[in-house]
Amino acid sequence: VGDRILAIARKEARQLLRDPVYLGLAFAVPLLLLILLGYQLSVDVKHLPVAVLDHDRSAWSRQYVDGFVNSEYFRLVGRLDTEAEAHEWIRAGRARVVIDIPPDFGRRLSASERVAVGLTVDGSFPSRGQISLGYVEAVSALYNERLLRDWLVEHGRQGGQVLPVQMELSVWYNPTLESKNFVVPGMLVIVMMIFPPLLSALVVVRERESGTILNLYCSPAGRWDVIAGKALPYVAVSFLDFLVIFGASVGLFQVRFVGNAWLLSAAALLYSICTVGLGLLISTFTRTQLAAMLATFVIAVAPAFTFSGIFAPVASQDAVGRFVARLIPATYFMDVVRGSYLKGGSLTPHLSNLAGLAVYAVVVYTVAWLAFRKRVG
Amino acid sequence: MRRRLLAMVRKEFSQLFRDVPMLLILIWAFTVGVYTSGHGGATELSKYPIVVYDLSRSPASRELVSRFRAPYFKLVGSARSDAEVVAMLDRSQANLAVVIPPDFERRARQGNARFQVISDGSQSMMATIAGGHIAGIAGDYSVELLERGLGGAGLGTRVPQVEVRPRVAYNPNLTEAWFSSLLEVFSQTTMVAMLLAAAAMVREREHGTVEHLLVSPLQPLELFAAKLVPVVTLVPLANVASVLAIVHGVFATPIRGSLMLFYVVSVVYVFAMASLGLGIAVLARTLGQAMMLVLLALYPMTLLSGAFSPPESQGAFMRAFSLLSPVRYYVDFGYQVLFKGNGLGYVWLDVAGILALGLALFLLSVRRFARLVR
Repeated sequence: VGDRILAIARKEARQLLRDPVYLGLAFAVPLLLLILLGYQLSVDVKHLPVAVLDHDRSAWSRQYVDGFVNSEYFRLVGRLDTEAEAHEWIRAGRARVVIDIPPDFGRRLSASERVAVGLTVDGSFPSRGQISLGYVEAVSALYNERLLRDWLVEHGRQGGQVLPVQMELSVWYNPTLESKNFVVPGMLVIVMMIFPPLLSALVVVRERESGTILNLYCSPAGRWDVIAGKALPYVAVSFLDFLVIFGASVGLFQVRFVGNAWLLSAAALLYSICTVGLGLLISTFTRTQLAAMLATFVIAVAPAFTFSGIFAPVASQDAVGRFVARLIPATYFMDVVRGSYLKGGSLTPHLSNLAGLAVYAVVVYTVAWLAFRKRVG
Repeated sequence: MRRRLLAMVRKEFSQLFRDVPMLLILIWAFTVGVYTSGHGGATELSKYPIVVYDLSRSPASRELVSRFRAPYFKLVGSARSDAEVVAMLDRSQANLAVVIPPDFERRARQGNARFQVISDGSQSMMATIAGGHIAGIAGDYSVELLERGLGGAGLGTRVPQVEVRPRVAYNPNLTEAWFSSLLEVFSQTTMVAMLLAAAAMVREREHGTVEHLLVSPLQPLELFAAKLVPVVTLVPLANVASVLAIVHGVFATPIRGSLMLFYVVSVVYVFAMASLGLGIAVLARTLGQAMMLVLLALYPMTLLSGAFSPPESQGAFMRAFSLLSPVRYYVDFGYQVLFKGNGLGYVWLDVAGILALGLALFLLSVRRFARLVR
């Protein structure tokens, strides 16, 4: 049996090597993505265009606005005069945030009163909206602290801490909160769910389109021989893809890696088996290469991108999202990858993830085995 | 000329409709795919898992903890030791830890209490947002303590403070699904347009039937037009149907602008992306190659589209580069028209960009093909 699997694997590998453009692109495209994400593209929200509608125009309000001018998160793009203007700027996207300072701003603060500042945020990009809300709060908090300090001095209490309850923030695992340490490991998971399944999804369907599948049907090779033999070279390609991205991310792009490379590699191998198996499964139920490609995007890539927790923890999703997340291998691998890159190399926290990947592999190959029939029509 | 073009178009349509599994997948992509994308992909702070290690166990500490509440935070456990805190963070069971020291209440009364927050930097995007929120919580609590006169020797009850009253335009509750479901429609449209067009061309080469076309009286321009017609007819319809049925129907996303304008520009956009797909197909010899080249073009364009990273935050080089991406114009156009209800007066630049890039891509592809066959 092993001979038949190997024979099919050898034939499949030779076919792959005969089209170096195709195979080369399967490595080149991920690397290009890595370069884009590692070097140039910033996913941080910075320099948000902000406009100010200052009805007060006092020393107090100018000081408050200075907080925005001096923040790297904002770029003051205009001082407006009317509400209508503010509305228009948000609408046209010239400003993402408009701050509306009431006419009694300075008077109320000097009388030790609370004053409310109106804030309009462009909600067309909700996550960006939330982030900019947080930034405005942060700038206001700094200003409030200053107000408080002056007030305490006025009331005869100097020195010591201003807020009775002060937060001390420490960031673990990625202390500088550098976005590449966050984006690149996430991208590794997604890329491995794009290219290997795409390659393997074309395998059976291509033979079907060109008619050579009949040779397989009348060969002595059993269903399992065909599936395993066809999977092998693609698992190898996928694993190589992993090694290239892993090597480049740590070596070239200096992404932080504190974990155990062996553990990560073992998980990557398991994940490769899963993703290639998913591709083969897609290949057995589609009739054209085009359908197989589209199906891969819809069934493999899109859920991985949406549910695996690339931007926020899986726990932040709603019930449907958390349920789907448990059904796809990318979630388990994401855990191992993020953990390995940034948290450390111990095996025990990841045993359940490895088990999840193994279960997925068994299920996907069993279904592929059931779906692949050596029959015409 | 019109008759042979029509014949070719008819052939393309029948070839498309014969592939039933593919049609089913397309339907799935524009319905279930869009629906699920509205459910996952949290990119906002929501139910962020936190663990609390409260050494103070006092009313003051309990009050502080009670302020970490839904929808932003979710208490997933109380630790009894440092080791437990570390373990929960290591295993990503919690992404944030709040440690309150034993003398918290006494020091809060004296006005110099501190508590420790440990944030999981491997979730850097959420860590930033969460840190800001907690700073806000600490600030609000502090001011309340001061005003209650707990902050010292009865300093009075009024403290000067600036409060922010936020109003989110166009999406008052920051509903993520409004954004993500629409984005999914846009990305499906983009990818399907490119792939369908590329496949229609490469298929002829793979099967050797391109020779038949070359000896037919069809001109390259007619041939390309015929390949584009089914894509440009079907994909924008699927797009608008999905916007109506799923984005608006299921997620109740308000559609404030003109659907007609959206549809017309979507047709132009699909024409542009399909032309790019055809251009790629001319370069590729197999469908596999074509697909890889499609991805090579698609992913950078998508990353630069402004949907994943704010255009304002990019460096000058990336911003200039993004001007070459039709996706960027379409994403901006789509959200402006559907979400903000903006008309042509606001989006004419986007429309011009899509149109110019589309024409350029179409002519380039045709010329490339014409040179190849000659």
